[in-house]
Amino acid sequence: MKTWPMWIAGTVVLAAVFHILTIFALPYGIMDRAMAGIAAQAGGVNKPLYPEPATAAVRGIVRPSPDLLYTACVYDVGARPLRITSPVPDTYWSLSMFAANTDNFFVVNDRQANAGSIEIILATDDTAKGGNGAPVVVAPSSRGIILFRSLIASDEERASIDAMRRQSDCEPL
Amino acid sequence: MKLFLKLLASFVVALVLGVGSALLLLRGGLGGTTAVGPWMTSDVIGSADADPYTRARVAVGGLLALNRSETIYFTAATDSDGETLRMQCSYKIVGSDPPARWWSITAYAADHYLIPNPQDRYSYGGNTVAREDDGSFVISAGPSESGGNWIPTGEGDGTFTLTLRLYNPAEEAVRDPSGIALPRIAREACLR
Repeated sequence: MKTWPMWIAGTVVLAAVFHILTIFALPYGIMDRAMAGIAAQAGGVNKPLYPEPATAAVRGIVRPSPDLLYTACVYDVGARPLRITSPVPDTYWSLSMFAANTDNFFVVNDRQANAGSIEIILATDDTAKGGNGAPVVVAPSSRGIILFRSLIASDEERASIDAMRRQSDCEPL
Repeated sequence: MKLFLKLLASFVVALVLGVGSALLLLRGGLGGTTAVGPWMTSDVIGSADADPYTRARVAVGGLLALNRSETIYFTAATDSDGETLRMQCSYKIVGSDPPARWWSITAYAADHYLIPNPQDRYSYGGNTVAREDDGSFVISAGPSESGGNWIPTGEGDGTFTLTLRLYNPAEEAVRDPSGIALPRIAREACLR
């Protein structure tokens, strides 16, 4: 009895399994690597990182926008909630949060914030409380990335926008 | 021993086929199924509704991408005639402001990072582009310096892609990204 059809079928099925595993695992693996890189530069999790504007020499996160100033923070709310604070500049600005599987589960921009500053609590459930009645965002995964984006509206405003984004912060409650 | 070798060969072939086919599918970056000329986008980038393939594409070619209500990302890997964008060719990107609060067009090498160039110039945005008298814009992308808005594509010989970001897109763009007018990408000449 010929067995090669069985071997081919088995190999194809196994290849399909590897294909699916790769597709499912890649987002977690790449996010893990990104979180490790940011945390290493920031001095740990739950600490902000203020990277220089993106250039061709920057090899951290793919497809960065050279028109924005970023502030990044790897969150870990497994043990304690996190307080996120930032001034809101008078230019396009957003605060976004990404789960361990890459999902962008929260975003607020400068127009929606509609204030000169913002405070948000990130936690694993909605029972956490901030000091000033700050809104609570529930994280779908205990670890992930918080990213602030500030548009460099003009060269003249670069220094002031840079100074403001360096006040963005994340710290455990 | 013969059975073990057969099993090992089957495992290795399956591993190469399975992982290789997955990586090959993701090579094009963010991509998507919604097209406006050469510009492609996905309705579910960054969303919890994203399918596993979209998540994997985001991870490989657009990590930390925002969801569609905040930003729409269009990526072009070809010109408007369907030819692959090459670093050794010159292109004119011609259009007018897309419906968004702010937009930008950025060139990326095939590895998804910015293209090294002596000018350190990678993009133009709604706030930096020089406009024609009628408000439209023409952006050149290519290896040779040209006047006006010029994005250098460096000295490499590979392919590149363009990303058009629409920050705070207008409601009609969020509802139907395929229905908005986006810049045309025309190839002019190639050095080789």
